[in-house]
Amino acid sequence: MGSLHDSRIHKWFATSPPVAWTVRQLRELLIGSLKQGPVPQHVAFVMDGNRRFARNHHIETVEGHNLGFESLARILEVCYKTGVKVVTIYAFSIENFKRSRHEVDALMTMAKVKLEQLSEHGALLDRYGASIRVLGQRNLMKPDVLAAVDKAVTMTAHNKKAVLNVCFPYTSRDEITTAVMKTVETYSTPIHNLASPAKRAFSESHITQHLRKQMLGDETDAGAEQPESRSASPGSKDAGNPAEDEVSSSTSTAINSSEKDESHGDVTFLDPESICAQTLTDNMMTADAPPLDLLVRTSGVERLSDFMLWQCHENTSIVFLKCLWPEFDLWQFLPVLVEWQWQQKKLQEEQQRIRGRVKTD
Amino acid sequence: MPSIAIAATGLTPAEEAAFRRKQLSVREREELVKPFLPSEPDSSSENAASKAAARHRRTAQNAKLNKKKKHGYFKSLLFFATYHFIALLFSIFFRFRRAFRLVYTKLISLLRYHHRTPEFIALDVSQLNKLPKHLSVIVELNNDDEQQGNAGLEGLVNDVCEIAAWASSAGITFLSVYERSGVLKNYLPQTHTSIESTLESYFGPTRKPTLSLRAPHLSSYSPPTTPPQTSTNGAHTERQHLTVLLLSEHDGRDTIVDLTRTLAEMAQRGDVRREQINQDLVDAQLSDHVSSEPDLLILFSPTVQLKGYPPWQLRLTEIFHLPDNRGVNYQVFIRALYNYAKVEMRLGR
Repeated sequence: MGSLHDSRIHKWFATSPPVAWTVRQLRELLIGSLKQGPVPQHVAFVMDGNRRFARNHHIETVEGHNLGFESLARILEVCYKTGVKVVTIYAFSIENFKRSRHEVDALMTMAKVKLEQLSEHGALLDRYGASIRVLGQRNLMKPDVLAAVDKAVTMTAHNKKAVLNVCFPYTSRDEITTAVMKTVETYSTPIHNLASPAKRAFSESHITQHLRKQMLGDETDAGAEQPESRSASPGSKDAGNPAEDEVSSSTSTAINSSEKDESHGDVTFLDPESICAQTLTDNMMTADAPPLDLLVRTSGVERLSDFMLWQCHENTSIVFLKCLWPEFDLWQFLPVLVEWQWQQKKLQEEQQRIRGRVKTD
Repeated sequence: MPSIAIAATGLTPAEEAAFRRKQLSVREREELVKPFLPSEPDSSSENAASKAAARHRRTAQNAKLNKKKKHGYFKSLLFFATYHFIALLFSIFFRFRRAFRLVYTKLISLLRYHHRTPEFIALDVSQLNKLPKHLSVIVELNNDDEQQGNAGLEGLVNDVCEIAAWASSAGITFLSVYERSGVLKNYLPQTHTSIESTLESYFGPTRKPTLSLRAPHLSSYSPPTTPPQTSTNGAHTERQHLTVLLLSEHDGRDTIVDLTRTLAEMAQRGDVRREQINQDLVDAQLSDHVSSEPDLLILFSPTVQLKGYPPWQLRLTEIFHLPDNRGVNYQVFIRALYNYAKVEMRLGR
């Protein structure tokens, strides 16, 4: 690949009005038609390859990052126009602080300048209806960058149509650890205001009474029937004696709370057993975003590099592309999207087939 | 912009202005990007003030709007047609590509068959200057009737045995096998026997590597088989050892949830403070109880979908898959190793 200056004629051709108009119309057409199929709700990008691009074209590393930002703007346009709700980008990793002081500073300054420029054009940003959110360790940012970040976030906070998550000093392990920490904090703060067990609507003596009655009843007339209904399908069992289920569950909670009362006096906590994967998901930085559908990493590196680990290890389609991030545009993104749509269609067909098979069985 | 240029080249603003294009004002920049922006959002999403403005505009341009409506129908029809045209085109393309890749892989695997001989595999990897210390694979349990030959539990065990034999032949000592449902964990002794016999068929009874099979939360299974050879000749090298670790969906999110529960209980009793929970603690716990970070993860599926693979361990793992490949295949394995050796490791530097 030649240097950027060699492509001047090509550039002149591409920017001549008729060609530019045609290309723009073609883009509109493609974006509009992509909208007809299923569209991923949440897309994440790892913007990799800015430095290699700069090296290949013999330009400053910082210029490479600048071109990368332009590429990001183009891709955001494509995403929001096709109807993607949330775009998450990996802008800066906590690991990146290990890079040269010069580059880190330059990146920080770039982020600041770009965010300041964005804030100047608040009205224009509203057209996309996108709000900016910054995910990451705020305490690692310099105060001036932090101020710019906060300004951009508050300026766009009223936009509800789409979200741009910028992972600024971010690593996924840090995110998971923070989520664990938050959860532990929630569950280790005593709850005072909630109804204490003594004030619950159920009285223990009443339940024991009921239970005893039930057992007596079981022994006398349903003793022979009970094992049979167990072996039958669970549905019939549920329908058969829903009262028993209710009672047993309420007794177990009652026992739990009474045990706790004895050991801790008047301090009560939420039950740690009620923590589930969803609890942690709610404590992640992407809590209110839809599940991640598509993750794209450019520059041919086939690694996640500590990005969105919790979010992408279930059903996310992960795509690794050979092209470098500054070269990434609609023309590279289109095949990815179409293939995703194709896979989605296949998946739906398969699900329907399975459902059909279950029905016939 | 100017501050970056200064940072990069060390020019003063005056010099900067002389060499670069003139700094644009806010207004000029807005003009510049205007043609690329979408049209104004419709009034429903706007607040009252702009709604009034929009209404005003609408009355003024009513005639134009009517025309636009007709235009809209045509446009959506065009979009619809283009979408299906593109979908059709790509679907043909995808099918051909898949067929081509299938034939290609089959051909290569015929030409470069390993003949179930460890020497052939060792020869294949002899040019590689770097091998993963910890290799991980994702295999699937196919309950489908279509997948003949490798369906059900038998097919799964077969796959695991083959992979273990390849890994051992290539000189890898730690292999973790992820299967979503974790069905193999119920059959540790049987799986151990199967892998053992496959290794024997590859290496022969005297050279076969020793094997230990384990799973998180279960004790390691390595029966005291033939005691270490009382080698009469001291030059006889020690036998290789292979550790196989079985992972399932439960070792992913659920384990992190379990850890959180334990920490929450400890915090309730006051045994652990908030500041004490950090990345090192979580990492130490998870790598002790589940597994360390694999260096290379091989997928035998046509696309990259992790299907619940333990997330914490995936941080810097190299992920390899062969597009459109289906099923466990020696070609995928060897190509993954080649790909791994070529890659330069950049750890955020």
